[in-house]
Parts: sequence; C-alpha cells; structure tokens
Amino acid sequence: MEDLIELAVNYAESLGAKYAEARFQRDIQETVILKNGFPEAAVLEEKKGISVRVLVDGALGFASTDGLTRRDVKAASSRAFKMARASARIMHEKVSMDDSSLGNVKVEVKQRIGFDSIDIESRTSLLKEAYKRAVEEATERNVKVPACSMTIDTWMTEKLVASSDGAYVYSLIPRAAFSMLMTAFHPQKGSVQRFFDLGGSGGWEIVERWRLPSLIEKEAETLSEILLSAGKSPSGKTDVILGPELVGLICHESSGHPGEADRILGREAAQAGETYLNRDSIGLRVGSRLVNVVDDPTLDGSFGFYLYDDEGVKARKRTLIKEGVINEFLHNRETASVFGVKSNGSARASAFDREPIVRMANTYLEPGDYSVEELLEDVKEGVYIRNFMEWNIDDRRFNQRYVGLEAYRILNGEIKERIRNPVLEVTTTGLWSSVDAVGRDLEFQAAYCGKGDPLQGIPVWTGGPHVRLREVILGG
Amino acid sequence: MKKDEAPSYIVDLALRRGATDAVANLHDRQHIMIRFSNNEVTISKFYDESTVDIFLMIKRRRAATTIPFSSTRSLEKTVEKLIKIARMTPPSELYAPLPEGPFSYDPKLLRGSKVSLNPDRLVGYVEEAINAALKEGAKKVAGTLNAVVERNVLATSGNVHASQERGALDISVRAFTSEISSGHFVSVSGDEDRFDPSEAGRIAGEIAAAASNPKPGEPGRFTALLGPLVFADLISQVGILSSAFLVDIGQSFLADKVGSQVACEKLSLIDDPTVAGSYGARAFDDEGVPTRRNVIIERGVLKGYLHNSMTAKKYGVETTGNAGLISPHPWNLIVEPGEKSFEDLLAEIDRGIYVTNDWYLRYQNYRTGDFSTIPRDGIFLIRGGSIESSVRELRISDNMLRILRNIRDLSRTRRWIRWWEVEVPTLTPYAVIDDLNFTKSTM
Repeated sequence: MEDLIELAVNYAESLGAKYAEARFQRDIQETVILKNGFPEAAVLEEKKGISVRVLVDGALGFASTDGLTRRDVKAASSRAFKMARASARIMHEKVSMDDSSLGNVKVEVKQRIGFDSIDIESRTSLLKEAYKRAVEEATERNVKVPACSMTIDTWMTEKLVASSDGAYVYSLIPRAAFSMLMTAFHPQKGSVQRFFDLGGSGGWEIVERWRLPSLIEKEAETLSEILLSAGKSPSGKTDVILGPELVGLICHESSGHPGEADRILGREAAQAGETYLNRDSIGLRVGSRLVNVVDDPTLDGSFGFYLYDDEGVKARKRTLIKEGVINEFLHNRETASVFGVKSNGSARASAFDREPIVRMANTYLEPGDYSVEELLEDVKEGVYIRNFMEWNIDDRRFNQRYVGLEAYRILNGEIKERIRNPVLEVTTTGLWSSVDAVGRDLEFQAAYCGKGDPLQGIPVWTGGPHVRLREVILGG
Repeated sequence: MKKDEAPSYIVDLALRRGATDAVANLHDRQHIMIRFSNNEVTISKFYDESTVDIFLMIKRRRAATTIPFSSTRSLEKTVEKLIKIARMTPPSELYAPLPEGPFSYDPKLLRGSKVSLNPDRLVGYVEEAINAALKEGAKKVAGTLNAVVERNVLATSGNVHASQERGALDISVRAFTSEISSGHFVSVSGDEDRFDPSEAGRIAGEIAAAASNPKPGEPGRFTALLGPLVFADLISQVGILSSAFLVDIGQSFLADKVGSQVACEKLSLIDDPTVAGSYGARAFDDEGVPTRRNVIIERGVLKGYLHNSMTAKKYGVETTGNAGLISPHPWNLIVEPGEKSFEDLLAEIDRGIYVTNDWYLRYQNYRTGDFSTIPRDGIFLIRGGSIESSVRELRISDNMLRILRNIRDLSRTRRWIRWWEVEVPTLTPYAVIDDLNFTKSTM
C-alpha cells in the first residue's frame, strides 16, 4: 500500500499540484441487529480505497477510488488535479495549507479481547439476554415493550496518510459501539421511547464493561416508571440541574460546532450552517467563569480517539471555552492558514472516499468542585434532567432545544417525583451564563456527529459532570 | 470473469455452498460533487466506486455484506465467509424466499439519461447559480452540485438477471444578503434538459433579498404557509417512516394506522419510481422485483406500508417493490397537487407565517410523532393575505399526525426537492397548515 500512496502523491505533483495528500483507508465492520428479540441479518462490511487531495492554482480537488491498481491510483490523482484546475477559474481567495509540523509515526490501539474471538452467536446471545431482561422488567410493572431494536457494531479503521510536504502516518484503531431504541407502552398511559449510543476504542473488553443486560434492564425499569408515574413538568423560572448526558450534548452542539473554523469561514453554509461566532470572537465571553469546555482526541479508550489527524498533524487537547470565554477554534491546515495560526489537529475523514474536514473528537465540560449532593442541597425548587430524547439547534448554533426524558422535581435540596418532558429552549449564551456550579463527576457517552457533504458521520464522545443552572426559564 | 458476470457467479456459488437464497448487486458509480461557498468553489470531488452487495439466506439464517469489487478469488472468499457467518447466526423471526422471477421491466426505466461528468461544464453550472443569486441582491452564495452516473447489475436466486442505469443532477443553493438573512432553493433532475441551476440561484437570491432585516419572531399557534423545501422535509418523513421495518422497531408514527384517516382529505402521497426521467426513477428494487406506483396515503387514509419480501410475509401482503434487503424504503415521493396558486394560498391567510426552509428535525417520540424542527432562511409574517415582514429564531414544535390532519390546502405548483436535509427526492406543493405551533428560546 505504501507504494500506491507514494505514487498518488508523486503523480499529482508531477501534474503540477502545489500540494498533494493521499490516504488509504480500510474500514471493516461487523454488525448484529436484534429486532424485537429476533436477530436480523448479520452484516459484514468492508470499505477500502485511496483518496487523493490536491491544491492547484489555489483550488482544492479531491478524487477517490476503490480500485487499488497503479492505473486506478494514477487516474484518481489525475481526476483530482483536473477537478481543482477546473474550479480555479472561480477562486478569489486561494486555498493554502499551514506549515504545521507533520508526523512520521505509527499508531496502533491494541485489543485486549480481539473481536475475532467473539462470534456472531455470542454477540446475538448477549443482545437476546439484554432484551429478555428488559421485557421481564417492564412486564413486572404491567408495561409492554412493543418495539426494541439493539445493535452491536465492531470495526477496525486502518489508515495511511502521506502528503507532499512530509506527513506519513499509519494508524489502526478498533472501535465497538452499541445503540438502542426502546418503546415502552401502557394502554392508559401511552408510550415513551429511549434512544442512546455507547462506544469506545479498543477490543471486546469495551462491550464487556458496559454490562449490557443489567444496563438495558435498568433502562426498561426507568422507562416504565416514567410512563407510569411521571407528572407534568413545571414551566417558568426555576433552577435546573443537568446530568452528564445532557451536558455533553450541549457542549457538542453549542460549544464544539460553533467553534469549527470552517463554519466560521462559511464553508458549511449550505449544509450544516454557519455559526454565531466570527473570526474576531476569541476572547468573547459566552458563559460564566465556571464554564471550561475542551475537546480532546487523545483520551484513551474514547470513541473519538486519534493521535494524528487525517492531514498528519499531531492531535492535542483543545480548550474551546476557558472560564466562560471563547479561547480556541478547531482547525485543520486549510483554516489555520487563513487564520494565521497552526492547525490543532482537527482534520478527520469518515471513510476513504471522504475528504478530511474540521471535526470534534471528544468534547466535554471540565469538572468543577461540587458533589451531586452539594449541587442539589442549594436548590429550593427546581428540576433535575438526567437525559433526553428530542433536541436540535439552529444552524448558527445559538437557539437550542432539549426535551428531558428521565427528569425529576427538586424540592428543598432533595430529588422528588418524576416529571415528564421538561423543555429547555434557550440561547447558547443564556444557557452557559446561567451555570453557577459544576460537579466534580465526569461521564462520557458516544455519538455519531454528522457534518459535510456527502454527510460524514464520525464517532465522538460527549461528556461532562452534573451542572447547576440558576433561574432558567423552562418551557418553549 | 467479466465484471457484469460477477453477480450471477456469486449467486451460483452461494447456492452451491448451501445458501437457500442469494442476491448479488454490483454497483458502478461515478459521482462528481462541487461544493461552493463565498461565491467560489470550496472543493470539487470525483468519486469512482465499484462495490458488490451480497445477501444470502440459509432459511431463517441471514447474512449480508458490502465489499469493493475485486478479484474472483476475493469474491469467492467473501461468499465462503458469509456462508459461515450465516450458519452461525441464530435464526430470524421468519423465512421468506426471495421473489421468483424472471420479471419483465419497463425498458424506459432501465436506461439512464446522459449526464456529463465534464468538470468544466459542471463548474459552469455552479457559476450560473452563483451569478443568478448575486443578481437578485445576494452578497454571498454557497451550495453543492452533484452529477451522478451509475449502473447496477443484479442477480438473485429467484431467476433475476438484470441491469439498470441512472443519471442525475442536483444543485442546492443558499444565498445570503447578510449574516442573518438568507434564502435557499434547489434544482433536481433526472437529466440535463430539465436541470436549471440559474433558477435555483434566482429563487434563493429572491428569498434572501426579501428576508433582509428580520426581527425576532413571536411564539404561538399560527396558520403556516410551508414552502416546498419545508413540506418536502415533513412529507419525506411520512414516506420514510412508512417502511414496515421502521414501523416494526417503533420508529414510526404510522404504526397500527393502516386504513385510518391520518391526514386531511386533500393529501395523497405516492411513492412512484416509475416516472421515467425523474430523479428517483428505477426499474427494480434490491430483490429484483419491478418497482411500481405505491399509494401510501390516499385522500388522507393510510393505505399501507412499504415492503420487501420479508416484511411483506410478516404483514401477510405482497412486496411493494421497495426492498432494501433489510429495511424497505421509498424511492421517489410524489404529493398530489392542489388546485390553487401560491398567491391564492397566501391571499387566504389573514394572520400567519410563511416558512421557506427548515432543518434539524428530531423526534421526542417516533411512535406518537411529537417532534421539532428549525425553520431557516426566509421566514415571513403574513397579515391580511400579504407578506408583511421578515422574522427569525422560531422553531416548529408540534406533532406529525396533527400537522397532517391540519393541512388546509395545497398548491397546484409543485417542485422536486432533494438536498442535504431531504434525502428522498420528493415532488411537493406549497402547503397551508392550520394552527401550527411555533416556539422560541425563553432566554
């Protein structure tokens, strides 16, 4: 493969490209699906090929091929070159790459328990056990589970990235993921649903750590209780405590996305949108002094793990919001060049046939000093929102809505009865400015972040501690 | 072995190795995408791929794969591995043999239109769209152009040996007159003759210019006039969630509603891939069954779900030609037109909101249909039958079934819509919805 990558870069340069980068990527994925207790088809997918990205007269061209012969690769280089050259005629601001130092390394994440050692039957049995316990748990409460789909995915991502200015990075990262959509139903109470993802990098040991049967049994119990006993949510001004699952999502949506430099430049304007931030927003206060949001691809075992990005730049922790102030944007080499800074290693591509664009990895709110009990004890009347179902945010990343699923009323510092679907519909600055205490706990959950065109779904973690918001207005 | 012979070879091999049923589907696809922003090209991309989907059953045990097309030996090894996986897989709920052919297909649907993949020509389309938007007053223009030429060769153990071609073009244009004033429109076509990037740019520019200086909107229930981009997003949800597979896993508000009045009588929704030359036209599905015109909603009544052979067996009906080997899906959605013009619809609204586009639709509960989505680009207050002013920062927070029942009227003008947010090509009119709930941030 090294030969083909070298050929792709050299051939593009020989055609006249000022910059050329080639990436081989192979993703081998195995999926088992359990639908309402019965297995669907086991799915094995292999996606592999080479992409070439070139810079010609200040325009970027990209071509991919799943043919792995010298002829296919030269054709890809040639097509990328022609695409860039054709586009150059309507370029006003010429694209360039920053002068980041580039890696020449090999990164390999080891599996303690190899995926190969866990056959399809064992994977399906694990899901069946989880489903059985969920149904039993709900049935004990006279609640039905009319629909439940569960999926386990395991996959290996192998990449080799090389560029004309010296990057040469090989990586092999195994990942495992679980997702579930469960419906709980009661003839008089209606239905509630829960969807969530789990994920990490490593071997099957990740899946074992999740203890899926117990976890899903607990989810069924909680859903049943919500259905049977949750009362009307209060609205109006109140204190709110958010659980880590929601805090992580908020960090991702209203801190990570707005700080993506390609959005700031308008590159996603017709798709995922722009941002309320602009090039001069570094130093802008958007939240209270307790708010520190970071994005760190280097977290061991994380779903968004990588040590070098897909342009060959070394990954590092990025502090997006420091003490409530915008501190750093996410950059690839292209945007870094425009902003006059160095790339902070945020270029990711979801597959061989996708170009690297600015992405998050593991975005979270850094923990503070409070225990959950301490967060609660100072709340006279309030609401605790542990997780969510519905959410969205506008394409400038400023107006967002989160609808709680597992949620409770707080009275005099104690968690009281369940409430149903509290709505937090607020602006980004309104939300972060109302943070008055941050927990010392820290939890992560997995998600697939969607961006780019064609859409690139990439694995990320989102996370944080429990957080207290003072005097926010519930309801939307 | 010639490439086109691979699907039949794979199916024969799978059957010899013990499969009761097998499908092999070779896809050859060339796709150019040009992304643009700030009135220039961000990146232009050429995708050249050749993949094979293989699906096999040993009665109730099923396995599937997608791999790059490669050597005969590699394909053979994949079949062997898949047989092994299928044997190990616990049995599914049902066994439905693959539909038995041979079938006859509409020759008009087998031949794809000619679409040029010449980079200079395609960059020219982008220039046309940008210039048309700028002419209307836009300051900056962004978007995506796609040109696709593809061919698939299908073989199944049900005596299917067939191939079909497809060519398609689409452009999505978003024009800005300021950071908070924008308009969006598309041109979507199965051939070059009907592709009109200038018109997409012009309409996006017109909306952006009209949307200048928006004021924060006020929440509440309003009569809403939904433009084709928004209504296509909502209607494509109805089409997608009419998949029997999604109904089964709880991911549909149409569960248990076949035969019921789920929408206003003015709404009829059809999945029709048999319209030759349209963007989503195709002759056969992934099981080789000829596609057909399927009525999903007729005068407000849900007529049925979309099926492959497996879901059809479970529901005791015939496949509708919408396979997806695991989950059936719509190909080409069509909403029957109303009788009034856009101007007539507008004139009949005394107090309302005109929404031109939306994005980020998420459900609180798929089964009930509770959801929200965010209007973006031009949003306009309507007073006394005319557009009064431009507003911003509102959210539609409502229920799908309520919205379908509250359709007051549809326009006779329809547009084909497909873009980043609306994946299934959808021919849709303007729609007037009574009592649509709008919310906004509380702080």
